[in-house]
Formats: sequence, C-alpha cells, structure tokens
Amino acid sequence: MSEARFKLLVAPPAIVSSAILVLLFIVLLYYSLPAIREYGLGLLASPTWKPVEGAPGEYGLLIPLAGTLVSAVIAVLLAMPLALASVVFTEEILPRGLHRWREAFVSMIDVMTGLPTIVYGLWGAAVLAPLLGDTLYKWLHSSLSFIPLFSCQPTTGNTILTAGVLLAIMITPFIYAVVRESYRQIPRTYKEAALSLGTTRYEYVRIMMGMAKPAILAGALIGFGRAAGETVAVALVVGNTFNMPSCLLAPSYTVSSLIANQFANAQLYPLMLNVLVSGGLILLLIGIASNILGIMYLRRVRYVA
Amino acid sequence: MPDWRRVKDRLFTAATVALALLAVAPLFHILATVVVRGGSVILRGGVSFFTDPPAYPGSGELGGVGPALLGTLWLGLVTSLIGVPLALLTAIYIVEYREGRLARVARVFTSSLLEVPTVLIGMLVFLVVVVPMGRYSLAAGSIALAIVMLPYTVSYVERALEGVPRTYREAGYSIGMTRAQVVFQVVMGIASRGVAAGILIGVAKVLSETAPLLFTIGSARGSYPTGPQSLLEPGDALPLLIFQFAQTPYSNWQDLAWGAALLLTLIILAIFTLLRLLFREVKL
Repeated sequence: MSEARFKLLVAPPAIVSSAILVLLFIVLLYYSLPAIREYGLGLLASPTWKPVEGAPGEYGLLIPLAGTLVSAVIAVLLAMPLALASVVFTEEILPRGLHRWREAFVSMIDVMTGLPTIVYGLWGAAVLAPLLGDTLYKWLHSSLSFIPLFSCQPTTGNTILTAGVLLAIMITPFIYAVVRESYRQIPRTYKEAALSLGTTRYEYVRIMMGMAKPAILAGALIGFGRAAGETVAVALVVGNTFNMPSCLLAPSYTVSSLIANQFANAQLYPLMLNVLVSGGLILLLIGIASNILGIMYLRRVRYVA
Repeated sequence: MPDWRRVKDRLFTAATVALALLAVAPLFHILATVVVRGGSVILRGGVSFFTDPPAYPGSGELGGVGPALLGTLWLGLVTSLIGVPLALLTAIYIVEYREGRLARVARVFTSSLLEVPTVLIGMLVFLVVVVPMGRYSLAAGSIALAIVMLPYTVSYVERALEGVPRTYREAGYSIGMTRAQVVFQVVMGIASRGVAAGILIGVAKVLSETAPLLFTIGSARGSYPTGPQSLLEPGDALPLLIFQFAQTPYSNWQDLAWGAALLLTLIILAIFTLLRLLFREVKL
C-alpha cells in the first residue's frame, strides 16, 4: 500500500472523529436558537416551567441549573477529603512492605470508576436515599433547622443533598486518579528535603499537598464536570421536582435529569425540545470549560528537581 | 505535657485511614446489595430470567430480561463494528501524522468527547438519526454508543502506539517496508496488547452506559432482536431496563431491575478481570 493510499485510509476516520464534537456543538446550537430567541435571558433566569400543548409554554431553566450547580458543588466538597485521604493512605501511610494491600486498594478504586452509573443509581434510590432520609435528614432538620439549608421538613430521601452525596461517591475515584498521578511525580529530592527537617507525617503531607495544589484544583474541576453531567444516577435520587435547591433536604431537579425525564416526549410541546437542547448546550459548555481549566491547572504542575 | 506535634500526627493518620476506608466502603455495600437482591431474583427466575420477557407489571410473575440481555449483546457487537475501526484508524492517524494540524485537532477533539455528558450524545443521535428515520432503533443506539466508545479507545490505542520504540519503525523502513506495512505489521503487532486493552475498555464503558440509550433505542420490552434486520427496530438493553424499572412502583419489575443490575455488574467485572489478567497496569 502506497503512502498516499495509506493516508486515504486513515485520514477520513480522523476527520469523522474530529467532526463529532463540532457536529454536536452545531446541532445543539441550532436547536437551541428558537428557544433563545423566544425566551432570551429568561431561559436562564426564570424559575417557571409550564408546558402547554399546541402553544409555546413558559420555560425557564433556573431551577435545574441551580440544582446542577448545588449538587455538583456538594459532590466536590464531600469527595475531596475522601480522595485526598485515599491518596495519602496509598502513598504515605500503607507501609512499603504492604505492596499487595496498596494494589488491592487501588483496584477497588478502579472498580468504582468502572462500575455502571446505573448501578450506583439503583443503589442510591433503594438504599442510600431511604437511609439518609430516615436518619441524617431527620437529625439535620431537628437540630440544625435554624440554618436555612436544613430548614425544610424532609419528606423523602430523594433530595438534592442525596444527589450530591451519591455524586460524591461516584467522582471520588476520578479526583483520586488526578491527584495521585501528580502526587507521585513530586521529585524525590523534595520529599527527602522535607523529611530531613524532621517533619511528622502530618507536617510532611501538608508540604506535599501544597506542592500538588494545582492538581487538587484540577481534580476538583474535573470532578465538578463529571458530577454536572451525570444523568441517570441523579435522575433516580434527586426527586425530579421544580423546587429551588435553597434547602438541601427538599427534592429538586438538575439539567441532566430534566433532560432524561422530559426529552423523549418534548416534541409534543412546542419549543420544549428547544429549551431542553439549550440546557444540554449549557451542560456541554460546563463540561468543556471545567475540563480546559482543569488541564490548565495540571500544566502548572511542573516540578523542577 | 503531651507532645502536640505527635498527637496531631496520630490524629491525622487515624482520620486519613478512616476517610480512605470510607471512600471505598460504598463499593462493598453496593456489591453486597446487588449480589444479595439480584442473586435471589436470578435464583428465583432460573433460566427463564435470562430468556423470558418481563412479566406483566404488578402481576405475581417475574418473567425475565431476555430481550434486554440480547439487546445489550447486539449493541455491544454493532457498536464495536462501528467504533473499533473508527477509533483504531483515528489513533493511527494521530500517531503517524502527529506533527500535522489534523492530527492535533483529532487528538484534542476526540479526547474532549470524554468530558461531554453522555446524555448529550443521546440527544445528538436522537436529533440527527432517530428523527429523520422516524423511529427508535438499536442501530441508532449503536451509533450513540460508538461515539461514547471513541475517546476511550482512541486515547488508549494512541498511547500504546506511541509506546512502541522508534527503533522498530526504523528497522521496518530500513528493509524497505512502506508506512502501511510498518504500521499494520510492526507497530500494531508490538502494541497489540495495548490495542486490545483499549478495545476492551471501550466495550466495558459502552455496555454500562444508560444515558445515550434513553432517546435512541426505544424500549421494546417484548421483542427479541434476532438478526441484523432487528437493528432497524426498537430494542431494549440492560441498563435502560434497570433505569426504567427502578422508577416503577411494581415489585416484580423492581426485582427484575436488581437481577439485571447483578447481570450487568458481572459482565463489567468479567471484562475488568480479563483486563487485569492480560495487562498489569490498566486504568478504567
């Protein structure tokens, strides 16, 4: 096969692969335009969701957008300590001799990454949500209800907080992978320098984590992007109710769970499909932006030994 | 007087170990729940769990997940037929012409697909395939899943091909091989394990995806996709069945969801174990 024919074989697939992202962006933008034209900024700022058959209803994405942000922020806040502790556990606390233990722990984290999200969702809906609803939420409400976030009476376990907790469990392995990779690249000389000062493990880890800070931020951003885009697991536990997530113990909506629930039938209502696609476009932008920012932070991790 | 530095250190170590164990604890609870609840359902259903369609909702009968299981297998096969060649050739282009503009664009754009929420890929395929065709189909689902597979397999294969030492290529060229021969006979041969890992990871990802199927395959619970002609018909898949049955109030359908969850988990863990046996360091 000549060079030219070889290129003719491999170039078209490369073009097709590259075109998918472009096509996705163009199609989402194209279908969003009617909604943007009709509702303008109200699309982002209005909390109303009133579908009407045969005429354009009133649609605003404020509640699902807020739900997406709140649940993803909760997820990152909860997942970060777990992920960092896991990094310290595998890299610093497990003695060198216990190689098999370290491998086993890393394998578990890997399995968590690969476990189907729908399995997390099923478990979240059947086990986690009732558990949190019967214990933690009752307690939060009875003892901390002076904090607005916990002021509403929890009725079921399907709440925005449950979505955040489930997402935290799901994104911990991703944050762990990003931070661990970078943590392991810290040059030996730095580690030895810190240890030579007679640091305790706590002091030593603080110094090391300081050096890995850009990677931690990158992990937070990448985890946030994952959490914001997760669909089916969230749809099973978030409660799917148009409810501002100002109180964490109430059901709410996220953009992805709204799409999951309404998109298939959206064609019955004028403009609803377009509104949902514009929500998808926002998710796309959040996903890409958090990833680009994350990669930028990761590039800053350059240890000069 | 206690040594505060030591006390702090002890507390820190204890808290770290506790948090690390807490991070993986859900995995055990999830696996235990799926095995216990799903296992009892599969034992109750016996062979018919794997072969029968779901029973009427709310009836005392259980039925099975036959059509969904068959649909998942078809989706895996057709997705691989579309996605694997596309991913392999794209990865080869990226590595062979790495200096070129298209190669750089292809690398960035395909890896960015990793960050696209998969529900949007379902949305895209709904708008450009399902609507023009006028119906849901397994083929549409396979196209969506092939897009999901692409970034995983491309990045893995790309790394495997990059890892082949330059000397082997040079040896190939020095005996007068063309670029095609070097790529397909030398480089792919040496990188075959990495290539296989990339394909297996892509397949594992695709089989466990739900969101791309929501608006693409429909949910034809009762019909069995028996041959290629069924690909243009609506179908079902295990993850989709779990998602929809988990939301119903019918206990027999919820039982099927748990059984299907165990089945799906076992399929994924089997692929994962295979990867571990074949290759040392694998990241899912």
